[in-house]
Amino acid sequence: MALPLPPGLTASEVGFLCEMELVTVIPRQRLEGLELLGGPTQPLNPPFPTPLPLWLALLLKKQKRANINPPAWLSVDGLSHIHDFETDTRTAEVFSPSQALPPPAGVRHGYEDYLSSDVIDFAPPFLANSSTTGAQADALPYHWLEVGHLLLTHAADDFDDPEGVRRLLRDLREVRMSKLRKGFKVLDAGAGVKLNGVGGMEIAEVRGFVGGMVDGLRKINRSREESRREREAEDRENGLGGSSYQDDEDDMQL
Amino acid sequence: MDEIDDILASVSAPTVPQRTRDLQALTRAWVNERTSPDLLPYPTPLVDRVMDRVKKQIETIEEITGTLDPKSNFTLVILQTELERFKFLVRSFLRARIAKIDKYPIHYRDLTLTDLSLLSPLEQQYLQSHQALLSAHYNGSFLATFPQALQKLDDTAGGVSMVDKPDEETAVFCRVLRDAGTVEIMGETATTDVDLKRGDLWLLRWSAVKDATVRGDVELV
Repeated sequence: MALPLPPGLTASEVGFLCEMELVTVIPRQRLEGLELLGGPTQPLNPPFPTPLPLWLALLLKKQKRANINPPAWLSVDGLSHIHDFETDTRTAEVFSPSQALPPPAGVRHGYEDYLSSDVIDFAPPFLANSSTTGAQADALPYHWLEVGHLLLTHAADDFDDPEGVRRLLRDLREVRMSKLRKGFKVLDAGAGVKLNGVGGMEIAEVRGFVGGMVDGLRKINRSREESRREREAEDRENGLGGSSYQDDEDDMQL
Repeated sequence: MDEIDDILASVSAPTVPQRTRDLQALTRAWVNERTSPDLLPYPTPLVDRVMDRVKKQIETIEEITGTLDPKSNFTLVILQTELERFKFLVRSFLRARIAKIDKYPIHYRDLTLTDLSLLSPLEQQYLQSHQALLSAHYNGSFLATFPQALQKLDDTAGGVSMVDKPDEETAVFCRVLRDAGTVEIMGETATTDVDLKRGDLWLLRWSAVKDATVRGDVELV
């Protein structure tokens, strides 16, 4: 009954997540709007492009009821541009920037429950324009690798140059993976690494290695860290200049 | 109720329907629970709303199946596919929680004495009766033959606690949804402060982002 998986999403769970991304569908058949659990869908009227979640788009595609319009970044032009950025020596240290988050959802008062959906901030895979035709051409969305892979597998005939896109996607993946591995040189027991621009599947791929390493290093360094923490706490107290013998005595008892 | 909420939402502002927001919230709940080492509070209203809708959707599907209209066949496939996706989310979410409850039962039993929102009533019931069964079994099979002083399962004598706890310092991947101030990073040589800025992706210790995650300023990925 209990889930036998260790913490951290598996590759197929990341795939499940990416299927909630919205893509642009060009219907070949009419379909009225549906009242789905995740919100209403727009009615399909050929040939007007309509945004739909990827899982539904793939279902329609398989039954030849619709075509999928690939997002602008998932094209030879878009991907070569991003590939150039990734391989440029001036930007060798960073990943190409990810798409921007939408503005924050209203003001929070501070007493809302955990995950109260009154003021919930949207994040991938629920951004409105990350994989639709309105998506930025020069930024990869969080689920770029998964969306690209699924579209190339199930809707290859909707691309102008599927082979070119596939090749670029593979190149991009290799360039970014080697960058990610190089970046882990800075890892130490404290964790604290900024990973802006890294995608969902890439995180799933390195999670086991990174998590294991950081936690392992931390366990080895535990005693050193504890003694440093104590020393720093002491320094702070002395810095305030207010610690008397009595205070130290109290601390000892804690 | 949902319909009214949806209408109100559409009138007041160009906002997203409540159902879509709940899907985002449920997905976040699932990912957070799957990736964090510790148990997060149980989002009762959210799960209740989702389960209500799932029940209604099943009724709708049954009605459509009854009409046997060949045209509605495809609609039915879509509705059922989506229903299965929702059921998977809820099930995986609950199972991830049960896995943690099973792993650290005594720790969470002690925590629920002070924090009632941590477990749902059903989870509490499960925890209590599972623990009762386990300790009865341990007592019956071997603990009763031990000396009195060694029979406890939650001994904290001698400065060492028998109660297992989740490791708060585990590294987690997270995304900052709102500027969440600074957190301390204990490096090998020095302690540094970093700013959590909206849109950033970080590898940090769970203890550093736990509060921000519960507040909703940070989500795990």
